[in-house]
Formats: sequence, structure tokens, C-alpha cells
Amino acid sequence: MAPTTPMTEPERERSARERRAIDSSCRVPVLYFAASAVFWLLAGSALAVIASVKLHSPYFLTGSPEFTFGRVRMAHLQAVGLGWAGMAVMAAAVWLMCRLSRVGLIYPKLLVFAGTLWNVGMVLDVLGILFGDGQSVEWLDAPRYVPPFLVAGLGIVSAWTVATFRRRRERHVYVTQWYVLAAVFWLPWLYTVAVLMIFWMPATGVVQPVVNWWFGHNYLGLWMTPVAVGAAYYIIPKVIGRPIHSYYLSILGFWSLALFYSWAGMHHLIGGPLPVWLVTASVVGSMMMFIPVIAVAINHHMTMLGSFHRLRYSPALRFTVFGAITYTAVSFQGAVESLRDFSEVAHFTHYTVAHAHLGAYGFFTMIMFGLFYYMVPRLTGREWASPGLIRVHFWSSAVGITIYFVALSIAGWWQGRMLNDPNVPFANIVRYVTPFLAIRSYIAGPLMTVGHVSFAILLTANLMGWGRQRTGGPTYFVEPATGTAGGPRELAAAGR
Amino acid sequence: MDRGMVIFVGALLTFSSSWLGLVLYPYWQLQNEQPYAKSPGDDPYPRPLAGQALAGVRVYQANGCLYCHSQQVRSEKFGNWWEDGQMKTGADIKRGWGARRTVSRDYLYDRPTMLGTMRTGPDLANVGARYAEPWQHNHTFNPRAVNSWSVMPSFAFLYAREKVVGGQKAAKALKLGREWTVDPGYRWRPTDRQWEAILAARGTAIRQAHLAGAVARVDPDSPAGRAELLEFWLTTEEEDYQVVPTTAADALVAYLLALRKGETPLPEAKE
Amino acid sequence: MSPTDFAVLATVVGSIVLFGGAAALALGWAFRDGQFDNFEQGARSIFGSDEPIGEPTDAFPGD
Ligand code: HEC
Repeated sequence: MAPTTPMTEPERERSARERRAIDSSCRVPVLYFAASAVFWLLAGSALAVIASVKLHSPYFLTGSPEFTFGRVRMAHLQAVGLGWAGMAVMAAAVWLMCRLSRVGLIYPKLLVFAGTLWNVGMVLDVLGILFGDGQSVEWLDAPRYVPPFLVAGLGIVSAWTVATFRRRRERHVYVTQWYVLAAVFWLPWLYTVAVLMIFWMPATGVVQPVVNWWFGHNYLGLWMTPVAVGAAYYIIPKVIGRPIHSYYLSILGFWSLALFYSWAGMHHLIGGPLPVWLVTASVVGSMMMFIPVIAVAINHHMTMLGSFHRLRYSPALRFTVFGAITYTAVSFQGAVESLRDFSEVAHFTHYTVAHAHLGAYGFFTMIMFGLFYYMVPRLTGREWASPGLIRVHFWSSAVGITIYFVALSIAGWWQGRMLNDPNVPFANIVRYVTPFLAIRSYIAGPLMTVGHVSFAILLTANLMGWGRQRTGGPTYFVEPATGTAGGPRELAAAGR
Repeated sequence: MDRGMVIFVGALLTFSSSWLGLVLYPYWQLQNEQPYAKSPGDDPYPRPLAGQALAGVRVYQANGCLYCHSQQVRSEKFGNWWEDGQMKTGADIKRGWGARRTVSRDYLYDRPTMLGTMRTGPDLANVGARYAEPWQHNHTFNPRAVNSWSVMPSFAFLYAREKVVGGQKAAKALKLGREWTVDPGYRWRPTDRQWEAILAARGTAIRQAHLAGAVARVDPDSPAGRAELLEFWLTTEEEDYQVVPTTAADALVAYLLALRKGETPLPEAKE
Repeated sequence: MSPTDFAVLATVVGSIVLFGGAAALALGWAFRDGQFDNFEQGARSIFGSDEPIGEPTDAFPGD
């Protein structure tokens, strides 16, 4: 258990050495996953901008089948959904599990192998789609030869995360570990069942979209969300040096998420040719999501109370808190959006696209950035090369997603209202959304991409050893408050 | 251990519930659905796709039409708008996307079932009943040749532009003006230089053709007249070249023509 | 029952048993192990003597 009383120098030294040993045991695979994730983020951003431009300027890059809108759209989702989000989650899961279990990783090479399987799968996936093997099943567009690679890689990572947990030396199981364990448990199975029931032994007719959305929504809810929320539960307290406000609430949040989220997916099929009770059940599930969301919101807010000034000094905290606040916002929005009256308008429109990006980017991706800002320097032993570039990254990502969300929400809402009124000619709807889509193509998308490129530069510099060797104590970015006066130390003191 | 046991059972039930409820139950509920025949001896509906139409599904999938087009007509009670102070519902049917809503039986043989989640373009569940083959080919080749405001991608890469041999165009050749066919996928216009050269070479023939069809006559040598002549010429077909569908385009259009969900009445789809 | 039906049934039932059971076991274990006993103490488990409560651990580089 954590000592809160002043500790002796040797104790401190020993504890720091242990932490450093754990970090270095998982350095290679975790950095490999992180770097791959960022690579796929860049690829996904490029595909995103192409797809976005094509949606209002159909003559752009027309003529080549590889770059037709539908294919680029599929490749984009695979690159960011499986490539970036998938590999970022795995990097986070492994590192958090090692740290929180207080054991080193054994056989790191096995994880490097798993990451390679996943990368090979992703290359086949994205290129396969561009060359015409896409499946047109949202989230599951990967050509038929891809899932074996992904399932195998995922299986290894999951097994290794569980194995690390089993070897833990820390007695207490921290809430983040609950989230991570649950996620690595759920996804391999979700993915396998979905691929099985849609492609290998297709279920009849409309059961396929049911499985499709059960998967699509749970990929977000039972894979990306738990790890991101779990990461926030680690990063925020660690950075500000203060335990979470109510540990009880955090555990309650975990179990209610586990119970209700998996029910929520069917509102993607509202009004569709399905038994009505299915959608109703999902609406109930979505409403129950208020419980975990409010639990997390209160908890994070109360933990941060009195420490908000630290947002100015810590990049990790800044991204993470942005993500955590967005989590509350997007979850509230999601619950309301699942209501029938609301869905009647929002379904089939850009409103849903805006919502999805608020979740996958504003919440998930921002927290992963926060985690990476904290994790990578501790793994490489180097500081980030440029504080300026970090600021560029934060502001362009934050402003980019905000513009994105506002523009597409407005466009989508009126698109939905007009679609519901048969007196509005279809041409008017197409014309109405065009300027909003152009805002996305020329302002929001490029801004976000600038952020990603900045981050990629920072990461490359760090991995190449261009950053300043770390100063201060072995695991600090801020020197221990015991030294003489100086900038960072004052900050440390201010954080008390 | 009492309390532990309660939670134990509780967690098992709630956890399993979603898998049971959302996946297994609908699976069993719907798995025995049969095609519908009004009276014995009638052709059952729906029927599995075959031949070209079946091959067309792959083309539809590979090019991601799903990401702009849904395939489901929602009921007369769905959605609402206001007209003369009255609330009305059921825009999908009013827009002519189908005579009735689609129900699970309509999708019995769909592999995969592409309900869709986005309506950048109109619903296609019943599009086969709306357009004939030549229209579909023209539209797929370049949607803007049909609707100037369209943002749908051109699928010109599914067509081949080739030299006409033997002076006779193929029966399948698209009947589109040269502005659409000279540079497939784009809208072509000659540069001023090119246009001068064309006029010098074939000006008389073009003028004659124009005169034959023209209603109002403009002086052919005035700037307005020359502009009109160009517009006219662009809408005529190319003489030496033709655009023909590849097998993929034929398959795709066969599939589009076979999309007739919501044409045959079904007892469970009253609205 | 066709082989497909059977495979799907087996997958779904199998996974219910596996995952539902695992979750239940996990929760049961957590109780027995006393993970929920001294609750608020758990929140402190991520701090150590090198990174104690009260000391921030992240800042912009070079600031
Ligand atoms: C970028 C979005 C987009 C993609 C991708 C797309 N379409 Fe379209 N589609 C539209 C729009 C917008 C319209 C309405 C304007 C028009 O008629 O072109 C439309 C109209 C249509 C129509 C006419 C429907 C009607 O009722 O008038 C058909 C048929 C069609 N698309 C087929 C396809 C096929 C087949 C594909 C895939 C090969 C496809 N579309 C891909 C946007 C798209």
C-alpha cells in the first residue's frame, strides 16, 4: 500500500528501480504496438480526408476504382477502428497490466509476433479493400482472409494480458485492471462470433445486421471504452498525485457498464425490418448507461477538483481530461439519441457520424493520446522533443473535433428533418449538407490531421532518441520536491 | 457467502442476457421463416438471386454502395413532417421508395443483408421497380449525366470505351452525349483551340445536324451561335467510339434491377 | 437442426457459459478475496514510495 508519510531515500530509490524494471520489460512490444497504432492513425487520416472530399466533390480522384468513395470509406474505418484503436488499446492494455500488477512482462517477443500478425492483417485489410475485396458490413469490412490474422494476434495479446495478471505481485486489483481484463476477454469472442455468423455460416436475413450492430456497438463499448476509461482512472490520479475521489463509484461504474452496454447496439436498426422488441430492449439498455456514465463523470470531476490548473502543465492530463469530459457528453448524447423520437430524425444521417466521431475521437482517441504522452517517455527514458509541437497537437485535435462535431451535427439534424418530409426534393438535401461536408474536408479534417502528424513527429523523435535524456528522478518528469527551487519543483509543490 | 452467491447468480444472468436476448433469441425466432406464396402453386416470394444478379451483389459490396444507400423502407407510421398544420408520417413510402414497408421476410436470401445506415442517396430496396436498364447504366457510368446535382461517384471504371468497329455500335453501348463519354468519369469540354480545329475539320456536318434539330435559329457565326453549336455538339454521341458495360457493370445493373423488395404484398407488412 | 444452427447454438451457449461464468467467478472471487473490503484504500494502490500521493508526475518537457 502506498505510503503517504515521508519516505526515506533508499526506499524511494528501490521503488523507482522496481518501476523502471517493469517498464523496461515491456518496452519493446508496447512501443511497437504504439508506433504501429500511430502509423495506422496517419493512414486512416489520409483516407478520411480523401473520403470526405469525395462526398461533396465527386470529380476528385474519380476514375480509379481503388479510390472510389465506398472503398476509401471502408478502408478508413478499418484503419482507424482496427489499426489505430485496436493497436492503441493493446499497447495500453499490456502496459497498464504490467504496471498495475507490479510484474515484468515475460517473453516480450511473443507480443512482438502478435503485433506483427495484426499489422500483416491490417495491411491485407486496407489494401484488400482498396483493390476490391471489401465486404460492406460496417465495422466488419475486412476481406475474408483477414480475420484469422487478427484473431490470432488478438488471442495472443489477450492471453498474455491475463497471464501477466495471474503473475501479479500487487495484492489489490485496481479498477483499471478490471476494465482491461474485461476488454481483452470480450473482444476475441465478440469478433469471432460476429465473423462466424455473418461470413462463415451466415445467419438468415435480418439476423445478420443484428449481429453486425451487436458487434459494431460493442467494439466501441466493450473494447475501446473500458480501456480508455480504465486508462483515465490511472492517468488522472497519477498525474495530479491524488487518489480517485470515490473508489466505490468506480467499481460500480465498471459493473454497470459491463451489464448494460452490451444491450445498447440495436438502435442502429431503428425502424428497420426487425422485431420491435429488439430495438426497445436496446433503448432500455442505452438508458441504463446513465448509471456508469454518471458514476465516471462524478468521479473524474471530483478527483480533478482543485487540480484543474495542472491542465496547463501536463500534456498527459490535458488530453485525458478532455477525453474524460467528452465521455460524459457523448454518452449522454448516445442515451438520448437511442430514444425513438430522436432516432427517427438522426438515423441515416450525418448526425450519427458526428456522434460516432465524438465518441471514437473526442473521447477514446484523446485519452489514448494522453496515455501515450505519459507512457512513452517512461518507456524510452526520454522527454518529448518539443513542447510546442505538443501544444500544436492538442489544439489542432481539440479544435478539429469540435468543429467536426458541430458542423456534422447541424447538417445531420436538418438532413434528417428533410428526409422525413417527402415534399423536400432529394436534390435539396444533397445541396444542403454540402457546405457542412466541405467544412469537414477543408477545416476540421486537416486540423485533426495536423495534430496526428505532429504527434507522429514527436513519437518518431522520441523513438530515435532525439529528445532530451530525462532529468530528475528516475520516473519523474518533475524533479522530486526535495531539491532546490526551480520551475518544475514549484509545480510539484503547487500540485500538493 | 450469502451475499456473494446472490451477486454471483445476478451477474451470470445479466451478463448472459444480452447474448441470449440480442443474438440467440432473434436467431431462433426468425430462422424458420419461409418464402410466401399466396396460394399453393403461386411463385413464392422472395426468391434467391441467381446468375448475373448474384454476381452483382459482389460488385455492390466491393464498391461500398452501402455507405450511401440503405435498403429498407420504413412504415407508414415512421417519422413525421408538418403539412398545412397537420402532422403526417411515413416519408419513405411517400417518396416512392416502396409501396409498403419492408419486413424480415424480404431479406430471407440476402447474403450479406445490407440494410445500411446512411442515406446520402435514396433508398434502393425497391429500385428495380423504378428504372430500366439503360437508365441504370447511364447513371452508374456517371450519375451527373442524369442528375447534375448528384454527388454519387462515377463508376466509369466498370465500363470500357472502345473504338467502333464495322461502323455499327454495339447494342449495349450507352446512349450518352460525347461530353460524358470522351473522358469517362468526367465532364469533357474541348479547349478553344480544339474546338477551332474540330470546326475546321467537320464544321459543316455539325452545323447541318444542328440546323436539322434546332428550333430557334441563331446566326451560326455570332459568338452566341458558336456557343450554342458547341453545346449542341457536346450532347450528340461520339461517332467513332462507344462505351460498353463490362461484365461487372452488367452484373451490378442486373442486381439493381432485381432489387424489388416491397413490390409483392406480404400479409405481415400492412403499412 | 442444421449443422449451421448447431454451430451457432454451440457458439452462443458456449460463450454464455464461458463469459457469463467467468464474470460471475470474477465477481465471486473479488468478494471472497476481500477486494471490496477496505474500499477506499484500493484507490491508493497505484502510488508508491517513488511516486507518492501529493506529487504530480507529469509536465511539459523543459518547462
Ligand atoms: C457518395 C455516396 C454514394 C455512393 C458511394 C453511391 N451512391 Fe448512388 N446515389 C447517391 C446520390 C446522392 C444519389 C441521388 C442522385 C442521383 O440520382 O445520382 C444516388 C442515386 C442512386 C440511384 C438512383 C436512385 C433513385 O431512386 O433515383 C441508384 C440506382 C444508385 N444511386 C446506385 C448506386 C450504386 C449501385 C452504387 C455503388 C456502386 C452507388 N449508388 C454508390 C450517392 C451515392
